[in-house]
Amino acid sequence: MTSQPQGVPTLQAAPEEAGRPSASGSWWFFLAVLRARPQFALGYGIVLLIILLAIFAPLIAPFDPQQANPSAFLQPPGWPYLMGTDATGLDIFSRVIYAPRIDLAIALAGTLVSAVFGSIFGSIAGYYETKRGLGTLVSGFIMRSSDVIQAFPVFVFAIAVVAVLGQSLQSIILAVAFVNAPIYLRLMRSQVLSVRRLRYVEAAYIAGTSDLGILARHVIPNAMAPVLAQLSVNIGWAILLTSALSFIGAGVEAPTPEWGSMIAMGYQNIITGHWWPSIFPGLALALTIFGFSLVGASVEVLADPVRRGRLAGEVRQRRGANVAPAGQV
Amino acid sequence: MSSFRDFPLPNLNRRNLLQAASATAAATVMPRILDIPAAYAQAGSTLVIAAPATPQSLDCNFDVSLGTFEAIAALYDGLLGFEKIPDAGVPDARREDIAFHADKPGGVNMVGKLAESWELSPDAKRVVFKLREGVMSNWGNELTAEDVRWTWNRAFELGGLGAFYTAVTGLKKPEDIKVEDKYVVSFNVEDPNPLLLKIHTNLYTPVYDSVKCKAEGGTDDPWARKFIENNSAGFGPYQLQQLVRGQQAVFQARADYYGGKPAIDTVVFKEVPTSASRVQLLQGGAVDIAQYLQPLEIISLKNVPSVAVETVPASFMIWIELNAKIEPFDNVDVRRAMNFAFPQQEVIKAVYQDLASPLNGCMPNIYPGFSGEFYDYEYNLDKAKELLEKAGHGGGFKSTLAYNAGDPVQEPIAIIYQSALRKIGIELELKKVPAGSFYNFVTDRKQPMIFYVDSPWCPDPGYSLTLYFDSKSYVNYSNYVNADVDKLLAEMAATADESLRLEKAKEAQKIIMDEAPWTFVCYPNYTMARKADLKGWTYYTSNNIRFQDFSR
Repeated sequence: MTSQPQGVPTLQAAPEEAGRPSASGSWWFFLAVLRARPQFALGYGIVLLIILLAIFAPLIAPFDPQQANPSAFLQPPGWPYLMGTDATGLDIFSRVIYAPRIDLAIALAGTLVSAVFGSIFGSIAGYYETKRGLGTLVSGFIMRSSDVIQAFPVFVFAIAVVAVLGQSLQSIILAVAFVNAPIYLRLMRSQVLSVRRLRYVEAAYIAGTSDLGILARHVIPNAMAPVLAQLSVNIGWAILLTSALSFIGAGVEAPTPEWGSMIAMGYQNIITGHWWPSIFPGLALALTIFGFSLVGASVEVLADPVRRGRLAGEVRQRRGANVAPAGQV
Repeated sequence: MSSFRDFPLPNLNRRNLLQAASATAAATVMPRILDIPAAYAQAGSTLVIAAPATPQSLDCNFDVSLGTFEAIAALYDGLLGFEKIPDAGVPDARREDIAFHADKPGGVNMVGKLAESWELSPDAKRVVFKLREGVMSNWGNELTAEDVRWTWNRAFELGGLGAFYTAVTGLKKPEDIKVEDKYVVSFNVEDPNPLLLKIHTNLYTPVYDSVKCKAEGGTDDPWARKFIENNSAGFGPYQLQQLVRGQQAVFQARADYYGGKPAIDTVVFKEVPTSASRVQLLQGGAVDIAQYLQPLEIISLKNVPSVAVETVPASFMIWIELNAKIEPFDNVDVRRAMNFAFPQQEVIKAVYQDLASPLNGCMPNIYPGFSGEFYDYEYNLDKAKELLEKAGHGGGFKSTLAYNAGDPVQEPIAIIYQSALRKIGIELELKKVPAGSFYNFVTDRKQPMIFYVDSPWCPDPGYSLTLYFDSKSYVNYSNYVNADVDKLLAEMAATADESLRLEKAKEAQKIIMDEAPWTFVCYPNYTMARKADLKGWTYYTSNNIRFQDFSR
């Protein structure tokens, strides 16, 4: 018996679609998709850039992002302050490129925690939904709890979580995880509901495999694809949520370089014509979320067998069109 | 015939263009958003004020919030006021004459408000006020000595701020205030008290219309707490027309005010929480006065022709409490080091745009008895390091600085201070406290370091120093204790000899400045940002405006 049924979407590229062997074929197919959809390439480029900035910020930043220099307050963009300075003389450029270290770390950690816990509880809720006895009760309890969390506006709920747990990095991660968990929970539950009815799952059940074994070996692996697609979309939202919390003062403490906190520190100066302390971090934040949204859109397409098949056909067609003239020559 | 070339064009640059565009947008849109009636914004006899908050309560015994100050000044009058003199720095402005005058009773240049005349006994144990006759409240009841007695008895009964005022004047029981005649009232204390007269100039010692208050309160609420919280029963120049908390308060001038009807008929006191919006409204002409602006905003308004901006030295002080009960600030050398490591001049320039002066003392520098010569904490990191080593903290230490999220200047000051302290090995964690709970953080006295902004409302050295440095004072938020200072303050409170008091005040300031219970930040100026055609502004040491001063 196999744990990989036919027709279940995976993220691995189908070699036959690209007409190449598996490993290099996947890579080639990915590149071909990026050529066919330049907006996806832009998204990956932005995300890659942000990650590189986060890693190499200490090598790139010309100034210490947390060392105020009041004698150079509110310097406009130019040299040596490429994006100017804020009211305390902190270098905006150095802070903008340091900020992804915090924003990305919180967003990644928060999203991963929410994906893991949301998926686990979603699987349990989906798997036991139609079973009688304690399982139904557990499933019902999980879903109603999710309803309660989702009944609150996300931002208000996140503020409440931080207020209850106290302002710290861990609290912000937990707040991000908490408000996002129901998304994964519902996604996983719907996937599990359809997967658990497939024959190979029934076969495993008849073969005497335990519920935990069926869930872990047969159901969850085959229901994960949409969750993975959702991850990249959610990272963008998690960055936005982190920045929003910092903007209102419930997130990262100043002067830690973080985009939302930087916008909050600078927005009052816009009225007096000093736009740079808040506009540059705002642009960086917008660009990052845009990048992650594009990556999310690409993963969504690649994870959907129908849309991926259509894209593969398009890629083949382009390749054929490119090759044909050469053949004529 | 004129063409567009004949009109002078202002220097048009990106910043001017942005400011003009936002002001135009504000003038067009904001009055609608804020529900400022067009007639209010236009009418000559109406004053529209953009303030950070509307009054929360109109009972000054329990409320010291922004907005309440202005309301109390409009609705009530006290017995006395300071004489007004032209401000030395701003030609059109006036200010209270708070200087020491050896030839005046109590050394103070005062004018009668509800009191027509007064007499302070030579031993400063008794003061007698003769009230003006025929002064009517906004409810039509005549002012009598019974109103004064009832007002101070209310302070005794309800406690709150009233308890503070009775304590500092040495009043121990309600019977200390005696009705001598229908229009004569006396205050009697056992020990000489230098504040016995001066306290009646305070904004928060107004006189209530006891007839109306008794009628409204009845037997259930004999001190009319509920009534006074939402209404007024006073002898001031205005009466309350409307109070919608969080939106606006409207005040109407009283035609029967004993001092003559104020020039401005109606005052609309609008809540506009963000200072940037208040600036825009003033620039666009939608309001007449924008209160509590940020230094950069004040600077930007100086180029707007329709707006007049005046800043004057004020009684405001901003400092950082160094909690003497929390290590390492229990060590004087550490506290001194913290001051040597504070880049005061750079903070004043970068954060306050030079609209402040260095806090070189422990009381307002505009008050009589102030001594500025004991400040010797010029920015010097070597000296700071030396003191830290002497205190056994040569390797530095970690601490936390709490600041008010609602005060935009505190965060940049904290960041600059943090950067400076890092250079001598002190790691400062910044804690942003929401504005709503900040005061609780201060009064809890559990923070090692916390910002505080205040101004003692009575321009007296004994009052100011006792407030912050007497070991028993509620407002001594740095937990500072020095037996010599306590003794000097007690001696100041027990004598009416002004020369002796000033001598002891100087001695106390020397000790306090040497022991540095605060990180001394600055004296922020008071700024009035108004339409250019509005005249009559007067600066008060209570740092609020009084509507009756204005005219067009």
